[in-house]
Amino acid sequence: MTDASAAAVPALKSDQLFINLGPQHPSTHGVLRVGLTIEGEVIVKAVPDIGYLHRGSEKLAEARNYHHCVVLTDRWDYVSAMPNNLAFCLAAERLMGVKAPPRADALRVLMCELNRIASHLLFFGTYGIDTGAFTPFLYAFREREMVLDLFEMLCGARLTYNYIRLGGVMLDVPPEWLKRAAEFVEYLKPRLDEYDSLLSYNPIFMARTQGVGLVSAEEAVAWGLTGPNLRGSGVDYDVRRHDPYCGYEAYDFEVPLGEKGSCWDRYMCRVREMRQSARLVEQVLAKLPDGPFMATGVAKIPKPPAGESYAHVEASRGDLGIYLVSDGGMSPFRLHARAPSFMNLSILQEKLVGMKIADVIAMLGSIDIVLGEVDR
Amino acid sequence: MTQDELFAALSAEFPAVARAEVPVKDHLTVRLPGPDVLLPLASWLKRRGFGLLDMLTATDFSGPTDMKGFVGGGNFNVFLPDGAAPQVAPVAAPGYRYRPVLDLLWSFVSIADKARVIVRLEVPRENASAPSLSGLFKAADWQERETFDLLGVRYEGHPNLTKILTPDFLQGHPLRKDYVHVKDRFDD
Repeated sequence: MTDASAAAVPALKSDQLFINLGPQHPSTHGVLRVGLTIEGEVIVKAVPDIGYLHRGSEKLAEARNYHHCVVLTDRWDYVSAMPNNLAFCLAAERLMGVKAPPRADALRVLMCELNRIASHLLFFGTYGIDTGAFTPFLYAFREREMVLDLFEMLCGARLTYNYIRLGGVMLDVPPEWLKRAAEFVEYLKPRLDEYDSLLSYNPIFMARTQGVGLVSAEEAVAWGLTGPNLRGSGVDYDVRRHDPYCGYEAYDFEVPLGEKGSCWDRYMCRVREMRQSARLVEQVLAKLPDGPFMATGVAKIPKPPAGESYAHVEASRGDLGIYLVSDGGMSPFRLHARAPSFMNLSILQEKLVGMKIADVIAMLGSIDIVLGEVDR
Repeated sequence: MTQDELFAALSAEFPAVARAEVPVKDHLTVRLPGPDVLLPLASWLKRRGFGLLDMLTATDFSGPTDMKGFVGGGNFNVFLPDGAAPQVAPVAAPGYRYRPVLDLLWSFVSIADKARVIVRLEVPRENASAPSLSGLFKAADWQERETFDLLGVRYEGHPNLTKILTPDFLQGHPLRKDYVHVKDRFDD
């Protein structure tokens, strides 16, 4: 090859390309847009764009009474609405000086853990689809449907329950329900082993998720991650252990931790948490205290004394905190939700840089966001 | 570590920081004398193990919420007769200390000590601003953008202080009590 012909070949040009991931994309699990700048296959800039689902529920709460606000909380994390109800009720009860009776506390724990199972099953199914395995989705939804049927039998709603109320719960469980819940847990436990052989230790799935999207423990804390995303990085922080509520200190359960903070670690944390939730459900069912399910002295239109309160719970996606200010009126003067999905999503702008496009979906899926909660 | 021990250690380092007159119930709540104490206090807390900036928000204490901030009235009830007042229209509660300030709030958590400190700072509503913590805590990034968007607090030093939740055409800061909704093409 002579020098002249070498000069005739133009230098290889690689331009940067901007692509939109979403807002209508099956793997963004809602209306999330990520503006990706790519160079070849590698991402050089990622800008998550949120707010498509912003309904201003914090503002809406300022013109509703406290009972009405519980309905607003259902719409945040709509695939696990029980912990949302609970966080608001705990904050409002602290403000009002009301304590839920023991049976209500046990029922709250029961419902939150069943809801955690349903929520993690949804994650398990959709994460399989994200990474290219369609079958687990059908298995997960078969089981999730049973939890939703239980909730439907309990309070008539399948997603937005409004079951946990100020001072207790809406209704006592029907006797038949407890039997069916126990049957469900018995049915679920062998299925969890099945999931491990179906997806968790599937060589293709492991190759797709292990070592991808590594988040160190320091980074996870600095970005404010909570829930399975934080524990996947090996940080032992669970509100049920660190700041127990509703009598969680009386139950025996483990907090699964990951090691490296890869997508697989976060995934495994959730799958192992389902087993712990099943254990918790069994324990509650075994020693469900008798007594009233609603505290006395909760007014039809409560007017808590002026003051401020903060309560947080371990929701399915992390630490859901509610900050409430009362001026003594009938509606909250200020309601702020510290939404775990909002915080978890913010790490994407840093973590996606340097990844391949194909891994973006694996990373996004493993963070497990619900856009209703991100945007509120 | 109990709240009193923590507050003793904190006030030894920062004598001007006092306990807040209205605490967040059951949590150690301190009030800053001015914005310049925030950064030293936050980095001191971070060194002491409070590495998780758990929550960052603000409250407008200027008065009851203006109903003009809502699109369809506060609590639209189809069973009320025509022309009846909405069930819940915020009114000034007697005896409550309304004041024209934005009360900023930071909540720091120490995972190892299982402790929480809530730090508060009052700033005037006009040109409200505070130092940004986004250099110390990455978690401040979006939470400061959210507070800027909804309450109009400028966090000085934030690398990208832009709207995050509300649409681009929306004027004003919705969580301010005197926010008035301007009718747009999505209302009907």
